[in-house]
Amino acid sequence: MSVERRNHVQVEGSGPSTMFFAHGFGCDQNMWRRIAPAYAKRYRTVLFDLVGSGKSDLSAYDPVKYGTLQGYADDVVEIVREFGQGPAIFVGHSVSSMIGMLANLTDPKPFAAQIMIGPSPCYVNEGDYVGGFTRADIQSLLETLESNYLGWSSNMAPAIMGAPQQPELAVELTNSFCRTDPEIAKQFARVTFLSDLRKDLPRLQTPTLIIQCNDDLIAPVSVGEYMHEKLPHSTLAVIENVGHCPHLSAPGPSTAAMDAFLAQEKL
Amino acid sequence: MLDGAPCGVMTTLDEGTFVRVNATFCKWIGRAAEDLVGRRRLQDLLTMGGRIFHQTHWMPLLQMQGSISEVKLEVVHKDGQVIPMILNAIRRERGGRMVHDLAAYVARDRDKYERELVRARHRLEELVAETKRLHEEAKDRALFAEQILGIVSHDLRNPMSTIQMGVALLGRTAASPSQERTLERMQRSTERANRLISDLLDFTQARMGKGLAVAPKRIDVHESIGAALEELTFAFPGRALKHERNGTGECVADAGRLAQAVGNLVANAMTYGRPDSAVTVTTSIQGATFSVSVHNDGDPIPPELRDRIFEPMTRGSAAPSAVRSVGLGLFIVSEIAKAHGGRAVVTSTAEAGTTFSLVLPRGVD
Repeated sequence: MSVERRNHVQVEGSGPSTMFFAHGFGCDQNMWRRIAPAYAKRYRTVLFDLVGSGKSDLSAYDPVKYGTLQGYADDVVEIVREFGQGPAIFVGHSVSSMIGMLANLTDPKPFAAQIMIGPSPCYVNEGDYVGGFTRADIQSLLETLESNYLGWSSNMAPAIMGAPQQPELAVELTNSFCRTDPEIAKQFARVTFLSDLRKDLPRLQTPTLIIQCNDDLIAPVSVGEYMHEKLPHSTLAVIENVGHCPHLSAPGPSTAAMDAFLAQEKL
Repeated sequence: MLDGAPCGVMTTLDEGTFVRVNATFCKWIGRAAEDLVGRRRLQDLLTMGGRIFHQTHWMPLLQMQGSISEVKLEVVHKDGQVIPMILNAIRRERGGRMVHDLAAYVARDRDKYERELVRARHRLEELVAETKRLHEEAKDRALFAEQILGIVSHDLRNPMSTIQMGVALLGRTAASPSQERTLERMQRSTERANRLISDLLDFTQARMGKGLAVAPKRIDVHESIGAALEELTFAFPGRALKHERNGTGECVADAGRLAQAVGNLVANAMTYGRPDSAVTVTTSIQGATFSVSVHNDGDPIPPELRDRIFEPMTRGSAAPSAVRSVGLGLFIVSEIAKAHGGRAVVTSTAEAGTTFSLVLPRGVD
């Protein structure tokens, strides 16, 4: 199966380097609609859906492969190899900033910069480390997911998977940006919120920007500071925003931080 | 008017802080309006799972599509009790800023019902998985058992033929009468063991492959069966074995397999039939079919046994264990009939006695 179809890869723009945008847990590549078009004027931009989300090919979802973040990272390595031109700038939101880091550690050559929006290496409190959540909190999330299928029903699956050549056939329904197979959503939630990549942080050699919101339940400021301390070549930018999606609710401050970092890295 | 509405109505800022809230919602969650407006955010009232969902689904959806509907979240009452609610929200500009207008209603019964459904689905999934696992295991075990059966029966043939040859050689040399009786018993036992082995091999072939192999040729069925019966006469000394022939004409069949079937049926008839009465084998040719039947007098087969008598491992319990086989004989008879495109049938009454028949197509134009 083609990588393009598997991850519903969308390429726009042109420029000396390629910016990859990876959405986080919950929704799909539509999350980037407020900031990606501006970058398409200066860079080649590649947007994609993680397998199991958005318009990715659900038949490619293998519970074993995607039982760890490395499974997603291996897909990113393939996407970067196939669609990258020039240096790669990887923009990951939330869990995808960690997926991007794992892809970088798997094959560092193409990566010139990592931009992490609201990252966390570990969501669950462990000893002295405060991730912000307990295992019971994650169980509570799984129950909330179970009560909210957001317009999903199994007889809709063929319509979502079908006809990538004719996107007009895929009718956009309410909540469609966050619609996934409930079983996949639950496993992705578990993989996301129960992963612990703290020991991998010191291995990342690529310059990294951490965009940290000043009020974020999912990734508290203390976690952003922890990331900054452990990542060897990192810049921490704290922006005024309530919530976990500054690229949606505060696109101006988000792109300002990204542009300053890209200028500093001469990209 | 909104205060008396039968649902919770409220407005929040983009980041969640309450701007106004009606009395119904306040009453439901046990908090005064002044405790909420300007002081708390919607997400502060949710369970932790709800808060994460609010961040990862609710907020981005409202930002991207301007509205969200039918979301079920648990709102925590001031006393700690959890209240399931269904929420709808619209994000719009009012007075120069973005606000969210929300409607909420309590969904306790619906929540219980949905939880029941979810639990039932989980139970069903577990049961299906368990059933599938057991089925696979049973299939594996059956296949393994049949393979072992095939291998063991095949490998038993060589030692058996050595014993049989040894018995035959000893029989040629001069022996005392008591030694001769011993040799005869050995001879009969090895023959029985050989029959058992070939039955087991046929059984495994019928179960694991596509039925028994047959090599049909044009035969005179009266002649073929007649020759087989001559040999069988020696196996049952002192017992009457009669042959009746009806009709004429050629048939297409495997003479060896027919002899094997008749051998099994005659052996059964001698074992279960009345010892003082003859066993009668009838070969009939009529139109496009022919049949081979074996009849004996005696007690009828009980009805509950008759229905499954052609299944493997089924046997009458009346006979002493010394003459009983493992119960493959009739299964093989039935498989031989099937391999010829026909079937095996049985009739059994106290008055008419018991008749097993193979009813087969003649196979000639």
